[in-house]
Amino acid sequence: MCRLGAVLVSRGGAPVAQKKVIAVIFGGRSVEHDVSVLTGLQFLEALDPGRYDGLPIYVDPLGQWWTGEALLRRSHYPLKSAAHKDLRQVMLDLATPANGQPQLVSFSKGLMGEKRTVIPFDLMVPAIHGSNGEDGSLQGMLEFADIPFAGCRSLGAAATMDKVFAKSAARTGGIKVLPELALDRPAKGIFLDPATLEGQLKEAFGTLKFPYIVKPCNLGSSVGVGKADDMDGLVAALMSAFRLDSRVIVEPFVANLTEYNIAVRRSSAGAILTSAIERPLRKAELLDFKNKYLAGGEPGGPKLDSGPSEGMASLNRELNPSDLSDAQETFVRNSASRMFDLLSLAGSVRVDFLSNSETGELWLNEVNTIPGSFAYFLWEAAAEPTSFLELTSAIIDEGFRLSAERLGSTDSGLGGATIFKAKD
Amino acid sequence: MTAQHPKWHYEQVGSDGPSFVWLHGWGQDGASMSRLADLFKAEGQHRIYDQPGFGKTDRLLDGAGTEDYADALALELEKLGPQQHIFVGHSFGGRVSVQMAARHPGLVKAIILIGGAGLQRRRSLAFRLRALMLKTLGRLARLSDKLFGTSFRDAYVARYGSADYKSAGALRPTFVKVVNENLVREAKAVRCPALLIYGSDDTEAPPEIGRKYEQLMPIARFTEVKGFNHWDILTRGAYQCQALIKSFLKDLRDD
Repeated sequence: MCRLGAVLVSRGGAPVAQKKVIAVIFGGRSVEHDVSVLTGLQFLEALDPGRYDGLPIYVDPLGQWWTGEALLRRSHYPLKSAAHKDLRQVMLDLATPANGQPQLVSFSKGLMGEKRTVIPFDLMVPAIHGSNGEDGSLQGMLEFADIPFAGCRSLGAAATMDKVFAKSAARTGGIKVLPELALDRPAKGIFLDPATLEGQLKEAFGTLKFPYIVKPCNLGSSVGVGKADDMDGLVAALMSAFRLDSRVIVEPFVANLTEYNIAVRRSSAGAILTSAIERPLRKAELLDFKNKYLAGGEPGGPKLDSGPSEGMASLNRELNPSDLSDAQETFVRNSASRMFDLLSLAGSVRVDFLSNSETGELWLNEVNTIPGSFAYFLWEAAAEPTSFLELTSAIIDEGFRLSAERLGSTDSGLGGATIFKAKD
Repeated sequence: MTAQHPKWHYEQVGSDGPSFVWLHGWGQDGASMSRLADLFKAEGQHRIYDQPGFGKTDRLLDGAGTEDYADALALELEKLGPQQHIFVGHSFGGRVSVQMAARHPGLVKAIILIGGAGLQRRRSLAFRLRALMLKTLGRLARLSDKLFGTSFRDAYVARYGSADYKSAGALRPTFVKVVNENLVREAKAVRCPALLIYGSDDTEAPPEIGRKYEQLMPIARFTEVKGFNHWDILTRGAYQCQALIKSFLKDLRDD
């Protein structure tokens, strides 16, 4: 008893090892802005308070960056910056020297003119879904600035975001995917021509066989996905998808569609781990944004401030679905792991599959490198469960490690490429 | 007040390892603790109780205090044989946990209070004057009702009674007793290790109470968790609580 007393008191009294400041960036200029806010806040709430301090960074729909404690409350969204005094508009300092600490900078008006305030942090966790966050652009910027960050590097993030590129990569890796037709947005004033379309469809799929599924090339979360039963429907679906993305893909519709999702990550020892498999329960024939995120159907959407059980986590699902045979399960686990390895992915990545429940055929559909809620619910239900708390720590540790490995390669002296010698 | 034997209702989670007893707050039932308890499924066997008068557990006698809740729970737990339990109490459940540790130390291995109530808060003079005035007003209303058959008391309750007071129903005498109690003596009597978790935005049981408990209890660790209030510390804050409780349990084991 006395010894425990000593342990407890010393923990409370002595200075603990310096906590790392983890900046979680969420929101963003993306159609998935709101879902990203939930994902970002969930990550912050699941940080180990003994090891980390969270620093929220919110990117509003205009692209302005904010920080402050007011960001931590779901009820404050949509955010009115004027309503919260502790909110501070910030910028990322891209010119931090490699041996310095990454930092946010904010400017405010002081007595002596403009006052510059610096907010240092240790690592950034991108929690922005979709464009400008999950597509490698943010990751590329962080790599450029030598700022440690969590999750996929720019290459993996960009490669998986582009559905056409990801599918061609999968094919080279021997992973089964559906055939597709990729179409670029026509120039202004040019209408989609059904006759041309017909030719393109025949070329891509061999025959013309409706229905087809139309998807924006670079978006996730089922945003802009539409089903076309005939040529008129196809033109309409393409038009609405082109409003969201300059490139759109058309895929054959999978009859008796069932979807399966699985999360993949790398253990600290380097082994590839897979999570539980989920089968999202679909209310409508096609999973669209509305029933994915606003499943409650009540006005105002999902209950806010109600905790971790929301966003992707509250989507109705069957975990470890019973209808999946052992062979199918192995197929899903192997394909997902191979894709993860093929593109050198990192973080908690969710790989989605399509299946024809009659024939049992399976295709890899897409890879989300920043899945909703970081897919923590799939890890909690895994054969060897990982709690969300352990998951955030694992993602952060891996981020530090990957970023440190990269920093080693920036010394020009090592490659013998030094031209300007230091003069003594 | 004599000890009682209500039929206790509880949910059982997990089957191996140390025994945990989860005690919810006022006006809630065991379900409010289950999200957090679930996170410890693999680390012990958990009994998530409905406290007497809440959920599916019957009431104790009228006007039972937290000491009676503790005594009744002790009788229930003694049925499980001689073993020590780790108590996790939220708010009112925290009061009962402190009483357990003070009155039945043989049953208590450690207590974990989350937004635990039980100590009087420091109040401004203005607040105390207002409270005194309202209390007097309430007593006058009751007196008038008795003497002259008026119905001032109901009007008074409707206007000034707290939501919990109004909805307390048959538990109202207990409620009045509970909110007026001050567990300083009991807190000083606690000998087991205690973990005290408080949300920085908690207005029901503010961090101030946790700090006081920390001073009163010999082996206590106080933590204020930023950005959570009295209620969402159990939902949104579940992972923060999980981390704090995990490291506390590790230190308990290492001893």
